[in-house]
Amino acid sequence: MVRLIDVPEPERTVITDLQCPTYNQTPFTTPVPARQRHVAIVSTAGLIVRGERPMLSSETGYRSIAASVNDNDILCSHVSTNFDRTGFQQDTNVLLPRDRLLELERDGHIGKAADTHYAFMGATSPVALEDKARELGRSMLALGVNTVVLAPV
Amino acid sequence: MSGLAHYLEDEGLATTIVALVREHIVSMHPPRALWVPFELGRPFAEPDQAALQRRILEAALALLDKPVSSPFLQDFTEQMPYQPSDASWSPPGSLDSRSATAEASSLLPIWQKAQYRVGKTTVGISGLTPDIAVEYIERYHLPDPMPNPKGMAAVSRARFAIDDIKAYYSEAALASGGYPSSHQLHEWFWNHTMAGTMIRDFQDIARLSDDSNLQLISGSLVPAERTYEYS
Repeated sequence: MVRLIDVPEPERTVITDLQCPTYNQTPFTTPVPARQRHVAIVSTAGLIVRGERPMLSSETGYRSIAASVNDNDILCSHVSTNFDRTGFQQDTNVLLPRDRLLELERDGHIGKAADTHYAFMGATSPVALEDKARELGRSMLALGVNTVVLAPV
Repeated sequence: MSGLAHYLEDEGLATTIVALVREHIVSMHPPRALWVPFELGRPFAEPDQAALQRRILEAALALLDKPVSSPFLQDFTEQMPYQPSDASWSPPGSLDSRSATAEASSLLPIWQKAQYRVGKTTVGISGLTPDIAVEYIERYHLPDPMPNPKGMAAVSRARFAIDDIKAYYSEAALASGGYPSSHQLHEWFWNHTMAGTMIRDFQDIARLSDDSNLQLISGSLVPAERTYEYS
């Protein structure tokens, strides 16, 4: 499974038919130099911490995953059948590459890996996510985060 | 994902996307995106391939070094073959075939071995233990269903229990090592286990149910190409 054309039907049509809003303009924030980057990962895999209520379809909120949370306590509540989860079952970094980010911090390629990463529920209308996304953005800025890697599912 | 980039960037954060569906990026033109040619569900490629995962992350972050003022989409050019099958891998054998619940119980020691080997489990989203999750689904439509613990609607519990069952079997399949492809794991689960058949049967009943919530989840239980309709 590589390009969209390689995805078997009927899943391909499901993905193709997903409603994508149009944006008239693309906002740009000037990135800081690499070694000043304080980087958080935002996933759309509906990741939660074990014991939390699973996220439901079209839920617009987000969850926080602190660095202190073990891999064993990170669960994926995005249970769509349109994507594979066996990779994540073996290695959390397939969806949330927080170990790789820590390596980049250790090797001086970035300034800091964030202490907390975040997850929204995928396949939710992007427009419906706006309020919470902006709220999360302000929250991350308050924590000193200046750079975000967005990881889909 | 692209929508999030628009909002976060507008709030003052620099963003870069690792994208799996190129067409969505082209449609929504976020500021920066790296398209990766991997299986859906695997934006950072393969499990336990730290060097490759790191190169993807570095490539995504490198987009921030480019002085762009219009949406910028780059392809991850490293060639990755389609995940090959592992001919040396074999699924767990000698499972109890008297019922789905019995099968799941017989899988328990194998799953525990896999947990020890991998160092984690992703089972637990339903709040039920794996064997209880199977029994919950097996009895869901019977006159004496299992009681639904407080805290989650019965239909939601069923949906997450089914995902836990799939994770339970996939994880157990790794107990003896090897690197089976997702295709191999799905082939085994859907075509050679009683749990796979149970879930397909559950889906068929859910589709025709008078319960609208059950109907609603029926489409998200079995990969479309593995439903009775398509297989």
